[in-house]
Amino acid sequence: MSIEEKNWEPKIIGFCCNWCSYAGADLAGVNRFSYPANIRVLRVPCSGRVNPQFILRAFQRGADAVLVSG
Amino acid sequence: MNRTGVFVCWCGSNIGAVVDVPRVAEAAAGFTGVVLATHYKYMCSEPGQDTIIQAVREHRLDRVVVASCSPRLHEGTFRKTLARAGLNPYMLEMANIREQCSWVHRQEKDKATEKAIDLVRRAVAKTGLASPLTAASIPVTRRALVIGGGIAGLQAALDIADAGHEVVLVERESTIGGKMAMLDKTFPTLDCSA
Amino acid sequence: MVAAAQHPHIKLMTFAEVLKVDGYVGNFEITVKQKARYVDHEKCTGCGTCWEKCPSRTSSEYNLGLGDRKSIYVSFPQAVPNKPVIDRDSCRYLNGGKCGVCSKVCPAGAIDYQQEDQLVKFSAGAIIMATGYDLFPWEEAYGEYGYGRYPDVITGLQFERMSNASGPTGGRILRPSDGREPQNVVFIKCVGSRDDTKGKSYCSRTCCMYTAKHAHQVLEKIPGSRAFVFYMDVRTPGKAYEEFYQRSVREGAQYIRGRVAKIYQSGDKLMVKGADTLLGMPVELEADLVVLATAMTPSRGYGEIARVVGFSTDKDGFFQEAHPKLRPMETNTAGVFLAGACQGPRDIPDTVAQASGAAMKVCALLSKERLETEPMISSVNRSLCSGCLECARVCPYKAIEEDSVSERAGGKTIRRRVASVNTGLCQGCGCCTVACRPGAINLLGFTNEQLLAEVDALCL
Ligand SMILES: Cc1cc2nc3c(=O)[nH]c(=O)nc-3n(C[C@H](O)[C@H](O)[C@H](O)COP(=O)(O)OP(=O)(O)OC[C@H]3O[C@@H](n4cnc5c(N)ncnc54)[C@H](O)[C@@H]3O)c2cc1C
Ligand code: SF4
Ligand code: SF4
Ligand code: SF4
Repeated sequence: MSIEEKNWEPKIIGFCCNWCSYAGADLAGVNRFSYPANIRVLRVPCSGRVNPQFILRAFQRGADAVLVSG
Repeated sequence: MNRTGVFVCWCGSNIGAVVDVPRVAEAAAGFTGVVLATHYKYMCSEPGQDTIIQAVREHRLDRVVVASCSPRLHEGTFRKTLARAGLNPYMLEMANIREQCSWVHRQEKDKATEKAIDLVRRAVAKTGLASPLTAASIPVTRRALVIGGGIAGLQAALDIADAGHEVVLVERESTIGGKMAMLDKTFPTLDCSA
Repeated sequence: MVAAAQHPHIKLMTFAEVLKVDGYVGNFEITVKQKARYVDHEKCTGCGTCWEKCPSRTSSEYNLGLGDRKSIYVSFPQAVPNKPVIDRDSCRYLNGGKCGVCSKVCPAGAIDYQQEDQLVKFSAGAIIMATGYDLFPWEEAYGEYGYGRYPDVITGLQFERMSNASGPTGGRILRPSDGREPQNVVFIKCVGSRDDTKGKSYCSRTCCMYTAKHAHQVLEKIPGSRAFVFYMDVRTPGKAYEEFYQRSVREGAQYIRGRVAKIYQSGDKLMVKGADTLLGMPVELEADLVVLATAMTPSRGYGEIARVVGFSTDKDGFFQEAHPKLRPMETNTAGVFLAGACQGPRDIPDTVAQASGAAMKVCALLSKERLETEPMISSVNRSLCSGCLECARVCPYKAIEEDSVSERAGGKTIRRRVASVNTGLCQGCGCCTVACRPGAINLLGFTNEQLLAEVDALCL
């Protein structure tokens, strides 16, 4: 798929730390913010838990972007 | 083979008004290892929890996915539900389809439903590899250390000691009392400070 | 104070410092240094003969330089314990001199010049930090107030020592320079507080109230006296606080809104120059005594004790609470709690409330026979572990220890180094799993296999 194609949306995988960014994503919900629906979040106990292997695996399986947040 | 039960929550209209809850349950029924997928208005309510307990017994479920609000809110609640149903509480996984889905994608209902299905698939995959965990326990030394012998340390030490526990109060100066003992009368009552 | 000393469940260790804290919630291992007092408190009766006869005088820290004490001393008459210590820096005998007077006069034979610092070890299930505060060293920052050169510019705490009946002046407010009673007393608030350039950005919370108290005390104790208060704002948020302040105003305290730009000596008076920003006019006052409400800062040595016990401090050095609204008496280290001004400037009512709250938290912990540990922690597969201990290097909680296993290899039994997780210390962050090359360490509840399966499920 090419980026020029009109309806293309990247598939984003997010690794979020339970204590900060996962909680932050919850807060965004509580405040009824709006953001695009193409991010899928995985909860980790700490951003230090994210093995580079997980990121490579996401790209291998077709993710367009990976967000590690902590 | 796993026997997973999936329970999708409407959260009244909080989830149900955006995400097509029955469709999520339907999709979940097709995931590997899922033997039961159902939905209910308020999963965390007493009847909601009873639904889970009943289903665990009837369908001999060995693990549970609850798709509802954030695990930061109700993971503890549903772990207890599992324990009441006779399962190890750590055989639970939650899919956050409220805070991280219905509440933030209100204008895109279809996409929200697709995302909810993905989030449930993730939870089913994770719990599929879960194993029972038990909390270890360590003995507690029933003694408190209080560092600093000003009014803060003294008050804390007295309260703990009055409750019957031992306290060691360490003060670096040659007397306790801290700054308060240096004061004359104290506001707002102007009584003495010793 | 006496109640704490007499309580059967409280062991007081004064003149002592915490040197080391090992272990974790429920089971801290503590090492305390009991500093040598050179007086055997078992034998001493507190009769006071020694400090009466001691020929060596030095300035009293407790009275903030406003009076002297002997080399063998109790800080103040109601001190607890009410038994002396010898100050090893000023004692003649301990510095190779002749003296030995206290030992000769002591009827109880309690003086022991051979005493040494002692290490005492014990365990505890919980720790409360209550190390309080110190005052901002204004002499280093406020040149316009004379850098401490003028003896009649004092701090609020020195003022307290003077008005205290068992203080150096027996409760009389006197000018340190000539011992005369002052007539015009000028108070300056926010010295080092709410002042980013010279001091601290925060409000010290107690100064508005104690300055109102001090003004009242001047007007009450010294007939015909006048009290002036330079202020930025008057903050009285507390029960009966506004009324307290209004009382001082009614009694005649004159509040002037504005900062003081300069203080200088003129004869035996101090000239105080400032501005009244409400009237938009410069003011100049002739003062006999100037009292500075200096900022509260973390107690000296705060960084060291925070490191020893193992928790963090905030940008100003006050101890960091786990959550400013929801967990104000806890630190982020399980089992370590906060009480009083060590967490931030506060007065006695707030200190007492927080201390009781922290005590409650501790009681909840200590009333348990055993403590459940979080099961989502790391676990080592010993047969895969190569013993490199990379995991131990990255673990932020020092939860990985060295251990060994016996194995039979080539007909011989050998011992092999492996990593082992301390279940009490591990916080389940999972950092170790990423460092482990053979993949021997895994995080229960968030295993490598689970996370990969989750990635797969989401990318489908
Ligand atoms: C001039 C002035 C007047 C005041 N007047 C009033 C008033 O009228 N009313 C009122 O409510 N409040 C008043 N306050 C505020 C009051 O002093 C504090 O609220 C109170 O003293 C705080 O108590 P604390 O126990 O937290 O700290 P502190 O009194 O500072 O006690 C801390 C103790 O810990 C010890 N310590 C420190 N570090 C260590 C260590 N590493 N190891 C062992 N021990 C250690 C110290 O030696 C000290 O004994 C006044 C403050 C000032 C400056
Ligand atoms: S003279 Fe001896 S008994 Fe009396 S206070 Fe001094 S040390 Fe204690
Ligand atoms: S030896 Fe002399 S100087 Fe030292 S404390 Fe005793 S009396 Fe004072
Ligand atoms: S999970 Fe975190 S705290 Fe536990 S041993 Fe590994 S690095 Fe240390």
